[in-house]
Amino acid sequence: MRKIKWAWAAKILAGAVAGLLCGVVLVSYFVGTRGPSPITCLLCAALGAAAGTATLPFADDGRMLVLCSAAHFGVTASLFALLAAQLGARGGNLLVWEGVLALLYAVIWLGRWIGWYVEVMRLRALLGLAPGPTPLKWRETLPYLPFALLLCDILPLILRWLDAPDVPVLSGLILPYLLLPAAGFSSGLSLGKRQGVCPLYPVACFVCYLPMVYLLFNDTALFHCFMVALPALAGNVLGWLYRRAVLKTR
Amino acid sequence: MEVEIRIEPERREPRVVILAGEESEELRRLAENLSRLALGPIPVSRGEEKLLLPQGEFLRFYTDGKGVSAQTEAELYTVHLRLYELEERLDATRFVRISNGEIINLDRVTAVDLSLSGTIRMTLDGAVNAYVSRRYVKKIKETLNLGRRKENAKN
Repeated sequence: MRKIKWAWAAKILAGAVAGLLCGVVLVSYFVGTRGPSPITCLLCAALGAAAGTATLPFADDGRMLVLCSAAHFGVTASLFALLAAQLGARGGNLLVWEGVLALLYAVIWLGRWIGWYVEVMRLRALLGLAPGPTPLKWRETLPYLPFALLLCDILPLILRWLDAPDVPVLSGLILPYLLLPAAGFSSGLSLGKRQGVCPLYPVACFVCYLPMVYLLFNDTALFHCFMVALPALAGNVLGWLYRRAVLKTR
Repeated sequence: MEVEIRIEPERREPRVVILAGEESEELRRLAENLSRLALGPIPVSRGEEKLLLPQGEFLRFYTDGKGVSAQTEAELYTVHLRLYELEERLDATRFVRISNGEIINLDRVTAVDLSLSGTIRMTLDGAVNAYVSRRYVKKIKETLNLGRRKENAKN
């Protein structure tokens, strides 16, 4: 226990020093002031300390891991927001920076998860068991990719072509408010019932639709991506719950 | 090689004596494998009843707040040994500790899964779930590698 406390203290200290150094060098360079203010230095050191302890939540597993990661993200995001605000970021700009931090967190989480999955695959091989599903079930999701392409790329193009030039009812109204949610939900449900949770499917729907936003519409239509990705996620989770209930009754 | 079996009704554990002209690597391996096969049964109790069960019957041993329990395919027993004492008695190539409170029989693992929150779940005989602490994964892999090396040496 004492050893763990020392590990925490050492990581916090090393992170704080590194954060302070980065703050002094980078803030002067990017913001163009003579040097960072004491508050900025304090925030940089605190953010560095938080980054230094980033690996510690991963030492646990299950519920504890999720709680520790969430708490760590909360602290880091708060410090990061304060620092960004201190350096002049406001409103939408601040949100973008927070979004970048969240994305970075998600990437680190994914990297860790894949590492654990490789370990599980190795255990399966040593135990002589079947290899099991692919990481994040990417291979199991592949058969649904043509449908996602059809729904998110081909269908909008056809509807836009059919639409009246002055009032685009099909592509501007029917597609985002009816077709995308209904088809996204149904396909997610079908995938969930067959393969369980496949987190890459909603992501694939989002990514497939993204070019259409800029090709057929503009920034204001970005919500269309969510109109297909979120129902796909909801359907997928519901399908998984159904599958789990059916397996339990058997 | 001549093999002779003598039945002694009063004997509780089998005893194997190998007679040979000289010591050899093969002989040492044979003795090692035999001692692994002939590891002692585990004393368990079910109510007032005391039993000695062979190690291969157990799926897992775990602490449940009141003491240590042993689970077989059909029954649940109480064990009057601590987990670390069990670890010393059990076949080290077959039984492995997967968390602070659980030892499982690797021969009975039928599935290994990973949840999105990083929990590793082992299914024993298709029905019993055991949760692996990641701190023990390295040890499990070492145990499995050891078992595999022994299997290869035997072949």
